[in-house]
Amino acid sequence: MRRLILPLLAGFFFLVFQTTFLSFLPIQRIRPDVLLIFTLYLAFLYSPIFGGILAFFLGYLMDLFSGNTLGLYTFSRPLVFFAAQLLRERFYLEGFAFQSLFAFLFSLSEGILISVLINALQPIPLGSFYPSFFTCLIPQAFFTGLVTPLLFFVFRKGSAFLSREPEQGIAERGYRP
Amino acid sequence: MFALVLMSLRAKQRKGVEFFDVLFMEICSPLEKASTLVIKTVQKAFQEHVFLVNVEKENRVLKQKVTELQEENRGMTEVKLANERLKRLLQFREETPLSMIGAEVIGQDPSSWFKSVTVDKGERDGVKKGMAVICPAGVIGQIIKTAPDYATVLLITDYNSAVDSIVQRTRAKAIVEGKGENRCQLKYLLRTEEVAVGDAVVTSGLGGNFPKGLTVGEVKKVDKKGHGVFQYAELSPSVDMTKLEEVFVIMEPLRSSPPQEEKVKKGKKNRK
Repeated sequence: MRRLILPLLAGFFFLVFQTTFLSFLPIQRIRPDVLLIFTLYLAFLYSPIFGGILAFFLGYLMDLFSGNTLGLYTFSRPLVFFAAQLLRERFYLEGFAFQSLFAFLFSLSEGILISVLINALQPIPLGSFYPSFFTCLIPQAFFTGLVTPLLFFVFRKGSAFLSREPEQGIAERGYRP
Repeated sequence: MFALVLMSLRAKQRKGVEFFDVLFMEICSPLEKASTLVIKTVQKAFQEHVFLVNVEKENRVLKQKVTELQEENRGMTEVKLANERLKRLLQFREETPLSMIGAEVIGQDPSSWFKSVTVDKGERDGVKKGMAVICPAGVIGQIIKTAPDYATVLLITDYNSAVDSIVQRTRAKAIVEGKGENRCQLKYLLRTEEVAVGDAVVTSGLGGNFPKGLTVGEVKKVDKKGHGVFQYAELSPSVDMTKLEEVFVIMEPLRSSPPQEEKVKKGKKNRK
């Protein structure tokens, strides 16, 4: 139960952090997606069922506080979680560069998925929507990737501090993001 | 007795006395010198170290005081700015014949794709879905989600936002749609309409959510090069959506025309 409640509380905290502190950044498009990084981190720790529920809830939180009324993040976050779970065994995820690349690719993929869904679900296709790939999506994915190793480190320390089981989870499975 | 003898010898200025004087002086002076040196050293040490500790302490206190005063100054500046902002809001509220409720922006959209803000007023304050949200500078957006104490405002810059508007100068009708990144575009603007860069765009009042005549923005770019019935125009919102702090939620329009529109009409009449 503790392993479910604590990530949920952390999810709330990161959402508030993302909607308030990170919004004060002078350039909005470089705002990293902390909740996405947290979802990726959970993919290394949790089983598909527990993790899937957590990712769903984190996506739901994103949708709740965003202008998105369709629930796109509630859909995309569990997908990101499961994809990360599938890929975690196939990738070497030690070190700054690999962790950054991992998060960058996921952020980019999710952005493309969301944008395709937004456009597909519009009654009239949105004109001039795809240029935002370059002005919004890629910069955000880049900065999300950039801060991922740091946040993975913080999450690892935080989970070790909270659970007092520092090596449980990642090390048992042989992963150390 | 010895003292008296000595006094007497001194009075007579005998040489033996001087010898003793010199002798004792020579013996005592080094001690005196050493003693003075010690005292001076101690005094110097006190002045240079012990008293310097005080100076350092004083310096620290003064630095702290300066920091506190700077902090206080920053706070005062913030209060002053907030005061000016609230004064403008109050003035705007008094001048606008609309039933409005003030709300504070407490959060931005967590995603980069969507443009919305969360405000600290909700259903308990009478806020409902679809209500218009404005500020003295112009239209901000409309309520899309409500909770008992909070609500989410979809900004006019969001891709999903559409506001029925007119170009103030030519009365050309168009739909203002969000383009993200603090930009909008005018859709369904007929090619035959004369629209120029710098034209103000106001709400038409036809959408049902926004009262007529609220400032939406200013035309920044007009493009008639393409084919088709419509021309393309880009709009810069009159409100900087990245710096929203306090907003008004229009509860229900009391009159169809807010003062901005009236002012324009009055201005035209006066010119005539």
